Amino acid sequence: MTTTTTVARFNTTRPTHDPGFTDLLRSEWTKFRTLRSSWWSLGTMLVLSLGMSITLTAVFSAQYHDNKLDAGNRLQFQNDTIGLFLQPGSSFGQLGCIVLGVLLIASEFSTGMIRATVLAAPRRTPVLAAKAAVLAGVVFVLAEAIAWICFFAGSAIVRNNVTVTLSTPGSLRAIIGFGLVMAMTALIALALGALLRHTAAAIAIALGWNLVVPGLLGLIPGSLGRHLSDAMPSRAGQLIMDRTEDVSAAYSQWTGLGIVALWTVVLLALAVWSIKKRDV
Amino acid sequence: MTSTYAIEAQGLTKRYGRRTAVEGLSFAVLPGKVTGFLGPNGAGKSTTMRLLLGLERPNAGRALINGRPYASLRIPLTHVGALLEAKSFHKGRTARSHLLCLAQSQALPARRVDEVIDLVGLHEAAGRRAGTYSLGMAQRLGIAAALLGDPRIVLLDEPVNGLDPEGVLWIRNLMKRLAAEGRAVLVSSHLMNEMAVTADHLLVIGRGRLLADCSTGEFIRRHTDPAIYAATPDVAKPALLEEAFMRLTANAVEYSAR
Repeated sequence: MTTTTTVARFNTTRPTHDPGFTDLLRSEWTKFRTLRSSWWSLGTMLVLSLGMSITLTAVFSAQYHDNKLDAGNRLQFQNDTIGLFLQPGSSFGQLGCIVLGVLLIASEFSTGMIRATVLAAPRRTPVLAAKAAVLAGVVFVLAEAIAWICFFAGSAIVRNNVTVTLSTPGSLRAIIGFGLVMAMTALIALALGALLRHTAAAIAIALGWNLVVPGLLGLIPGSLGRHLSDAMPSRAGQLIMDRTEDVSAAYSQWTGLGIVALWTVVLLALAVWSIKKRDV
Repeated sequence: MTSTYAIEAQGLTKRYGRRTAVEGLSFAVLPGKVTGFLGPNGAGKSTTMRLLLGLERPNAGRALINGRPYASLRIPLTHVGALLEAKSFHKGRTARSHLLCLAQSQALPARRVDEVIDLVGLHEAAGRRAGTYSLGMAQRLGIAAALLGDPRIVLLDEPVNGLDPEGVLWIRNLMKRLAAEGRAVLVSSHLMNEMAVTADHLLVIGRGRLLADCSTGEFIRRHTDPAIYAATPDVAKPALLEEAFMRLTANAVEYSAR
């Protein structure tokens, strides 16, 4: 061993404490908030959700008032007004959630940032968990704000035709459910982005799964078609916002939420396995 | 407790399908000197670095950092800093944000971000989006990220590619300074003249196998034509590295013109 006269001058900057999950959360929040695409996606979610919800509520309310609705729609407007407030917003707002969830992870692969991320957290699972926690937290908070606004704005718009209050059965369930469904949609998109490692492919598949697949499955005749179609996350997620159990739906409200939760857990588990096992 | 070997490879083997990228690679990198990792394109230099850092898992053998596998390091960026491919960051973020999220993951104080920014001379550009950076600035950002944890080991994969002469000189002096601070510096390159004046020790790899593991001076002495070696004054001997390397790796080039 050679003798050196140099004095070791490294490791002079030490961490302030033993890093844990909280530090990963802090790091992921910094990553989230310093990306312009994060804010654009959230903005899209906000505009589409609020816009569609309030517009459709106003349109239906006016048509109801002028007696232009057919019997089926009329009945639904009276009995399931809350669904009208929230479901269109959820359908359209999901676009923002999907783009956000995919971008957060797939952009790390496309830019090569994933290497720095994995070098900083080589066990990999905790950093994916932190990313998921930040994503779900932010989306849930914004989605809940949207849900409450849609509820109060909607109730005000329809007040001359139907009375809807928080004590109307199913109100609270629908409002909380809205936030949960949006957060889980974002997590599903995150999982897809982690599995496919490709932004365009993940967004295309997520949108296709949401918009096209339920319709295709519904073409299968009879109750099988209904059960398969309503088991898709986009359809299942809408069920929690139905006030009364929709007779044409294959599952009850809470079952629908459970189905979305199952999709989320399974896809996230696959994503964790993929991130841990594959080269990066 | 630090082991004598900063970096150690023990029989590293990595295959992609039927192609063997590295085979039975064993070497150690010591602190206090710059170790040059030389080889033709496709020889396995980048693969080896990725194996050392745990980005890929070997088919056989072990890669140890400070005596342990990378994945078992608790605050890894305080052990090893690495610069791999250029521009491996999100173009929409500023240098400061990029470095901050990395620093936060290791519980490093926020002021460390500004310290490394000043260290690499990115102070002027730190608040601009990284997508606006030239290649030289991007390399500086990558090096800043590597030095963020003030690590004992620094791995640099082709750091000089695309740099102007001033940048090349800056990196050369930086690597020497890092080694003088007691760190282990492993730098891979295929630029002979730069390696000749920067590296104290050489690891030469060809077609996935280790071809040489000795000091730079020893390598030149062993692989240069003896007549030429004797005729060259000492001060000019580093310039013989290219010739020595070509003689050794003539049969080990992966891609060559017919």
